[in-house]
Amino acid sequence: MADTAQPGPMAAHGHAGGTRRDFLSIAATAVAGVGAACAVWPLVSSMNPARDTLSAGAPVDIDISRIQPGQQIIVLWRSRPIFIARRTQDQQNLVKADKDAGQLRDPQSNANQQPPYAKNVFRSVKPEYLVLVGICTHLGCIPEFVPQPGGSLGPSWQGGYFCPCHGSRYDLSGRVFQGVPAPYNLPVPPYHFVSDTQIRVGENPPDSTFDFNSIDQI
Amino acid sequence: MRRLALAVIGAGLLLAPLAHAQEESETPLPRPGWSFDGPFGTYDRGALQRGFQVYQNVCANCHSLNLVTYDDLGPNGPGGGIGYSEDQVKGIAAQKEVTDGPNDQGEMFQRPARPPDHFVPPFPNDQANRAAHNGALPVDLSLIVKERAGGLGALPWSANGADYVYDILTGFKNAPANDKLPENSYYNEYFPGHHIAMPPPLADDAVNYGDGTKATTAQEAHDVVTFLTWAAEPTMEDRKRNGAKVLIFLVVLTGLLYAAKRKIWAGVH
Amino acid sequence: MAAPQPQSKLVRWIDRRLPIFTFINHELNEYPTPKNLSYWWNFGSLAGILLVIMIATGVFLAMEYTPNVNLAFDSVERIMRDVNWGWLIRYIHMNGASFFFIVTYIHIFRGLYYGSYKEPRELLWMLGVVILLCMMATAFMGYVLPWGQMSFWGATVITNLFSAIPVVGNDIVTWLWGGFSVDNPTLNRFYALHYLMPFVIVAVVGLHLMALHTHGSNNPLGIDRKGPQDSIPFHPYYTIKDSLGLGVFLIIFCIFVFYFPNALGDPQNYIRANPLQTPPEIVPEWYFLPFYAMLRSVPDILFIKAKLAGVLTMFGSIFLLFILPWLDTSPVRSARFRPTYKWVYWLLVIDVIVLGLVGAHRPEGWWIVTGRIATLYYFVHFLILFPLIGIFERPLPLPTSISAAVTKGGGKLAGASAPMEKP
Repeated sequence: MADTAQPGPMAAHGHAGGTRRDFLSIAATAVAGVGAACAVWPLVSSMNPARDTLSAGAPVDIDISRIQPGQQIIVLWRSRPIFIARRTQDQQNLVKADKDAGQLRDPQSNANQQPPYAKNVFRSVKPEYLVLVGICTHLGCIPEFVPQPGGSLGPSWQGGYFCPCHGSRYDLSGRVFQGVPAPYNLPVPPYHFVSDTQIRVGENPPDSTFDFNSIDQI
Repeated sequence: MRRLALAVIGAGLLLAPLAHAQEESETPLPRPGWSFDGPFGTYDRGALQRGFQVYQNVCANCHSLNLVTYDDLGPNGPGGGIGYSEDQVKGIAAQKEVTDGPNDQGEMFQRPARPPDHFVPPFPNDQANRAAHNGALPVDLSLIVKERAGGLGALPWSANGADYVYDILTGFKNAPANDKLPENSYYNEYFPGHHIAMPPPLADDAVNYGDGTKATTAQEAHDVVTFLTWAAEPTMEDRKRNGAKVLIFLVVLTGLLYAAKRKIWAGVH
Repeated sequence: MAAPQPQSKLVRWIDRRLPIFTFINHELNEYPTPKNLSYWWNFGSLAGILLVIMIATGVFLAMEYTPNVNLAFDSVERIMRDVNWGWLIRYIHMNGASFFFIVTYIHIFRGLYYGSYKEPRELLWMLGVVILLCMMATAFMGYVLPWGQMSFWGATVITNLFSAIPVVGNDIVTWLWGGFSVDNPTLNRFYALHYLMPFVIVAVVGLHLMALHTHGSNNPLGIDRKGPQDSIPFHPYYTIKDSLGLGVFLIIFCIFVFYFPNALGDPQNYIRANPLQTPPEIVPEWYFLPFYAMLRSVPDILFIKAKLAGVLTMFGSIFLLFILPWLDTSPVRSARFRPTYKWVYWLLVIDVIVLGLVGAHRPEGWWIVTGRIATLYYFVHFLILFPLIGIFERPLPLPTSISAAVTKGGGKLAGASAPMEKP
């Protein structure tokens, strides 16, 4: 059986109609290619978060009226733990004095780990309430809330967060210490006070457009 | 020879629809005509919102709508919802309560519904619903319009699910003299067998339409069926719109392919 | 004319170590194909493309589907409502199954008409029957997954069939179910197997193509290629013709997907499965209707109960296809030159359609008799008519060659009467 077929009528075809045939073939191929790409797009897009997933990631309203001073509650937003801690007056004074700033990696919160309205020494909207994403910026464990000074963390411990996995430490504003594995301060989610007793986590105050997806390290 | 054979096949395939058409109901189903009929059909937003009102105020007392969430009604909903804003959606949701929990004390508690919640059912489960209705179960309405469609062999222009539901809702009549109506049954012109367990749900002015439309029974039925058709397939408008784009593209592409084929094959024929 | 020498250095480097480019060039570009193939030869490539479409949509659906009796139905509705483009992927997959069978049935009937199952293509045909069986298993299991009323009750009826097997029947059914009825274990294993089977089909399609390429395609005249004057290279002639066929097919397919997506399905499957409520009519999807009709048509025969007889008849009708090449005694392939067989072929087509209608109806009244006659005819057609027609028929004289027939205006005797050819 012959490998190549060259019947007689074919030879006359030559180049006389060549360019028109090539244009048609190229055009058809190009249009078909566009079609194939458009056909693949819905498949790829289907892997993006579905509407109900996005809807479940909507902001949550938290009632903070029952948190005692010195206490912390943990709520879920977008399947992540959110720390809401109520600092005592002493703790607020400690933070304001900022004596340990020299031992922190990023005391001025220069890294993009918080909305602009939380870029202060308290890393919060109001000094009394601290709102953080409770995920260690090292490898993702949930740090423990250790508000009491001293104790097993040593005499210089003023209170803050301690991650049991690899020993990272954060202060009472969630700022990371030097000499620990974690590289960044604990993130602050978008939030604002709907009322004095309600915080809405996941939504900026009306005058801000901070995008939480832009932070350096969850 | 081939033509004859093809004609026989064609006749055979056309016979198929007769198999299913009107088999269950002896009375032919009227077709009122809908905004969503046909390849360019859309959902009339006014009818959707009025229909939602009818569902919420009348039907929801017995029938659940489990597959729809309050969010679906708003701009984040499939197909863009039925025209309510996010705030309206929050308000609608907050009128109902859901069971949530357990809380830190281990107790379940009631809280107002939020937009991501599914429509709160009238009863916690089917058994409770049956018990309240003499053993008959008011079915979930999320897909009722698709469930009652014509099926295989139904021609595109024959009565479909929306027509069926509309006809049931407007088909309640006094039983004829010779009809033995069982207890807890009502006579319906279009329900197969004519004896339906549901009492006539709609009446003139059963709902207060905010937009000034006159709330006759037929209007209420028309609106709630539009809403239920949307509930069964909220993405229908996307489907038809993309269908037009795809088909136009395919016709163009097939035209190009045909021209290319003729050119390439010119020598061989 | 295809350039025999690959162009770029990279291509040559790869090809020397793994001759995939030479392979593609030989099997796709240069591959000699009869020059007279009609559009009835498009359906093989259409089936192959549809297989790819089904696997692609299926994989993405599988990312969102949950195979648990309490969650399956809702997961499918979530795909329809919440997943981006989920409604489209689902409707393509759902209608794709129907169109896969339409295309395959036409492909099969093309083979029956033109004698594509005859020597030397018997294995090619048998591999095709294997593909059909795998498709039927895949489609049956796939239909169970949405866990609607028809999913559940169709699964119940069909798995119950196996209890007709004497002695071990009930044990087999329990083994299939993984329990005392169709329930969660059944759903889970059907999901696993439904994901697996298409790849088995891909492998058998590979064998099918290997068998095809050994002797090349049949053609409407049913006579062998004699030399290069009878052939043309697959590329560009049949690549463009197959592409055109694909374009036409996609138009019809998309009309259904976008405008009549539920026309070929059963509306009852939009009702959640309820093991305590049998639907008024249990009907399989349309592509199973002829077999369903045969299953229900057979009464008690001698000592064999109707249920077992029906099962044997149904499976027999498919296994009969395996031995088809040996049932047909005619030395002539194409029905174009077989005046008697031509008529009888259309009787089979009508018979299959009638069987389909019978399967769609409740077995009562005239439908019972019709079903029995149609089932009987199916077996008479293959077991009696096939052999007899081949022996007693006087076929028309065959053309001398394909190119002779094509250049002289197609299909009829060219030049002086030539002796009847053995293909």
